[in-house]
Amino acid sequence: MRSAGSPPPPSPRNKLRIGIPRVLNLWNTHQFWMGFLTSLGVDPRNVVFSSDTSEEQGRQFGKGRGTVDCCYPVKCISGHYGELVFGQKQKLDVLLSPMIYNLPSFLSGHVAKTLTCPRVMAAPENIKAGFIKEQDAFAEAGIKYVSPFVSLDEPRLVPKQLFAGMREAIPGLTYEETATAADAGFRALREFSDRLRKKSREVLEWCAREDRACLMVIARPYHMDPGIGHEIEVDLQAYGYPILWMQYFPIDADLMDWAFGEDIRAGHIKSAFDIRDVWPSSYSSNTNEILWGAKVAARIPWIACVIRMSSYECGMDQPTYTPVQQIVERSGTLFFSFQDLDSTKPSGSVKIRVETITHYLEKYAAAIISRKKAAAPPGCPLRPAA
Amino acid sequence: MSSSAEHSAEPLKDRSERWGGLGEERRSLPPSRTIGIDVGSTTVKAVIVDRGGKVAWQDYQRHNTRQAEKVLEFLQRMETEAGLSPGADRVFFTGSGAGFIAPLVGGKLIQEVVAVAACVEQQHPDVRFVSEIGGEDMKTIFFTATGTGRSKQVYMQSACSGGTGTFIEKTARKLQVPGERLAAMPYEGMSLHKVSSKCGIFAETDANTLVKTGVPVEEIIASLFEAVVYQNLATLTKGNTPSPDVLLLGGPNLFFKGLQEAWRHHLTKLWTQRKIDLGGREAASLIVVPAEALYYACLGCVEIGQGEKPEVAIYQGRDKLAWWVETGQHELKAKEGARGLVASAGDLATFVTEYVKPAAGRSDAAAGARHVGSVLVGCDFGSTTAKAVVLDDDRELLFSCYALSKGNPIEDAQSLFRQVREAGYTDVGALALTGYGKDLLKDVLGADMGVVETVAHATAALHFYPDADVICDVGGTDVKIMILRQGTVADFRLNSQCSSGNGAFLQGVAERYNIPLEAYADRAFEAKAMPSLTMGCGVFLQSDIVNQQRKGWSAEEIMAALAAVLPVNVWIYAGQLQNLRAAGRKFILQGGTHRNMAVVKAQVDFIRGRVPDAEVVLHPYSGEAGAIGAALCAADWRKRGGPSHFRGFDTIAALTYTSTTSAQTVCKWCPINCTRTFIDVQLPGAKGREWSKLPLAPGWERVISGNSCPKGLVEDVNEMRVVKAKLEEVKREYPNVAEMVRKDAFRRVTPAAVAAE
Repeated sequence: MRSAGSPPPPSPRNKLRIGIPRVLNLWNTHQFWMGFLTSLGVDPRNVVFSSDTSEEQGRQFGKGRGTVDCCYPVKCISGHYGELVFGQKQKLDVLLSPMIYNLPSFLSGHVAKTLTCPRVMAAPENIKAGFIKEQDAFAEAGIKYVSPFVSLDEPRLVPKQLFAGMREAIPGLTYEETATAADAGFRALREFSDRLRKKSREVLEWCAREDRACLMVIARPYHMDPGIGHEIEVDLQAYGYPILWMQYFPIDADLMDWAFGEDIRAGHIKSAFDIRDVWPSSYSSNTNEILWGAKVAARIPWIACVIRMSSYECGMDQPTYTPVQQIVERSGTLFFSFQDLDSTKPSGSVKIRVETITHYLEKYAAAIISRKKAAAPPGCPLRPAA
Repeated sequence: MSSSAEHSAEPLKDRSERWGGLGEERRSLPPSRTIGIDVGSTTVKAVIVDRGGKVAWQDYQRHNTRQAEKVLEFLQRMETEAGLSPGADRVFFTGSGAGFIAPLVGGKLIQEVVAVAACVEQQHPDVRFVSEIGGEDMKTIFFTATGTGRSKQVYMQSACSGGTGTFIEKTARKLQVPGERLAAMPYEGMSLHKVSSKCGIFAETDANTLVKTGVPVEEIIASLFEAVVYQNLATLTKGNTPSPDVLLLGGPNLFFKGLQEAWRHHLTKLWTQRKIDLGGREAASLIVVPAEALYYACLGCVEIGQGEKPEVAIYQGRDKLAWWVETGQHELKAKEGARGLVASAGDLATFVTEYVKPAAGRSDAAAGARHVGSVLVGCDFGSTTAKAVVLDDDRELLFSCYALSKGNPIEDAQSLFRQVREAGYTDVGALALTGYGKDLLKDVLGADMGVVETVAHATAALHFYPDADVICDVGGTDVKIMILRQGTVADFRLNSQCSSGNGAFLQGVAERYNIPLEAYADRAFEAKAMPSLTMGCGVFLQSDIVNQQRKGWSAEEIMAALAAVLPVNVWIYAGQLQNLRAAGRKFILQGGTHRNMAVVKAQVDFIRGRVPDAEVVLHPYSGEAGAIGAALCAADWRKRGGPSHFRGFDTIAALTYTSTTSAQTVCKWCPINCTRTFIDVQLPGAKGREWSKLPLAPGWERVISGNSCPKGLVEDVNEMRVVKAKLEEVKREYPNVAEMVRKDAFRRVTPAAVAAE
């Protein structure tokens, strides 16, 4: 793929080892980076994601390199960087920590913008400071630190941005192959999402067939990280409830039309992915999806309960608490939130909360499903045609 | 910056010489003597430096919250012992308590970090990092070489007891370690245990747990030193590396040998990790605790003071300060005070008519014999007491009883059921349990359901007040706030970790004044005025009370104040609930502490102050709400046609059990290693535990107690395997989308797969 005129690379790409911190919006762009790097000729076995966030990781690798930030999902990145720099048996050549400006959301085009949280976007700069403040820890470890600024929701800008941001790290990189690789990245990400949406649809169809309740989690992508969301939803799953995440809700036309068609025809919204009826300032990608998740959860009868997670002092989540709660509760769906999540799992309180939730689910789920079914339009595509 | 060793490590033996030299070089001989006084949170320190730059007098003493008195005493002694003379000598103050004292004697105030930094800069040109730990605060100063000199960066915190001297001393007192022994206790070579580094109260709890499990006191103290150093490094370095040379200042750093060792250990490790160039010197020698570690702030005052104009800070004598100690501070008392708990006789009368009701009617013990048909039983197994209630089919309360918990849940249960049977209720139609013991005892007693506490309390409140929005349950050792929506507990706050806001604290204070708890409210209502206590942590509240007592506030006034601050602690400090209005407008007060009418009065005023149209009601069965809620859930069970699993009074009374506490029952899930007790109960049909290290034959059921967290209820890895296997089965059947992301999203696609596209 490499254009013929480029000079021979100083070290072959298939030997290049690239570390990526498994943090923030990597939790929803993961496969883009895999697809992108693989297409460039990097051996996938040489792409190293840091482990899930843990307090141990922070203590062992991030101590003393901390930043003044109340946002734990940002703060914990010191541990991820440290693990990649100091904690690898086989040394890395590159640490890739992208500054993602906007996201390829399924709501793109239907909302004002799909920006990332500014604190999240700038996190790499913030965390890097702790590693170069006194001595350049990257240089000492022989690691090239690259942090490309990238607008993932503007595919036409991406090749230029990634070429500029990564040419120093990838020997012999050309613009053309960057463009091809970006396409491969988007394709990989899309395929992954499609597969999970299909799975979610299967779950919903099973619920509809059996008239069983499922739960939907409304949270930011990084709450899937066991060190950030503390796998709270797993404790609920253990009681026999399938768990959906709104990020991977099935968005097939038939289902969307059934759920939102009436609102579109009534002129409240322009499309199934339009959230102007509940959230006019639709600039932040994760926030938009959270609001959309509340709307869809309210409309699907078998989603008997919504679980909301948010991290300590999250300024982006703060204004969404009330609208999300009200949208969900007005439909008669149960709503429970786990707020102020931080580094430690509050096990005792989670246990009590989970028992509380499952008690009420057991008591009310059947009634909720039938009430929501009665209120829903006819011909739900999740149920086999009668 | 020169990194030569010549100035670095030696104590200040030659200080006077250097001081003198400096005086001559920078300015003419100081016109008078300069005094530096440091009024800290626990001690007062003072030095007199004479015209030649020599220290003529120095001392430090604990002030036991009497800062002004101690300063007065010091000034008096300096006058007689060292000839301190008003109108001539100059006096400079620093420290957290110096603010109001300095102007009373004509002194000038110097910020404490500035003072310490001035002294360090003058004495130790090679020092790059200073840690000063005080009684109730901690500071770090980083010096960085710049082109012309050194720039400094200062961090300090004084809001929390974690990382301070009090943190160590409070726990050491609890462990009955005398001061001299504490000072000599080592850190090196000790095995360390997990002690919360964040808060003094949590640390004390951790220490108690460690003591209970037989950990030697030496190891606990070493763990405290570890926690203090960790807390200082974690919160006060902010990305800077504490580089050599390092200076450790303040009382705790000077007196506690173990703390110095902990610093040496951690800094040396850090320097190796970060590859800091030590210039071939021994790491330990670069961490210095000067003999005068206590006096650096005082000496810094003197250093800065000598640069001030000569007419500044002339000592004016002790008269004004003496007046303050004898009269002034007491006059301030009246000004500071708030009105009492009750505004007027009318206010009290209205409150009494609304809330003070005769105790809810209860059937006599013989009533049971006359009762026809089956009853519903609810039990609440709490950490300190176990309670049971009996309801009839119409959900009316027939009987209630309680047993003080003796640590063995089986015995507690036997006691409760003995009482129920003695009261004449022999036909149990349904049984539900709540509280900590619910899961342990469900099978043993044959309960029909275990009800989580939140649900039990909410059910009890909604039964009496179907439109309730918020339940506030204040017990002896914990606080629960439950917010109800859609007939469910939509949100709740539980706090059992912090002593502020709970009933035990009120009881403790009442006991100190020798006032029975029943008389608390009447005494507190007598107060016409009361001091305002600061909301927050119990440690600080205790010293605040001592402080207010000293100002002359009486027992009833302090008790009123304590009742008044309780709602603030409950809702804002422990509950973290700033916006009461958003929670709703109908508030239910329950829990044992609300039997104290002074607390109820304060709660009502507090809630109405924030939610003017609030309806605040006192649950008629304040203490039994949990058990009633369980019984009501049992009623639902029965209504749905659920069969009773109750094992019967005879079976419960005759339960055969053995209890084992040994090395094999120790919990291995975390480093705390709780010593658990396995209570094995003979129970027909039970599966037994053949996989266990302490195998249990079929027909026996194991109840685990003595664990301090839910994890300890799982016996060991073997049981975890059994539990996990079951869980995996459930998880396969009920998928979770996030698990697929966790499993697949970061998987590395093979080049072949990409090429195939």
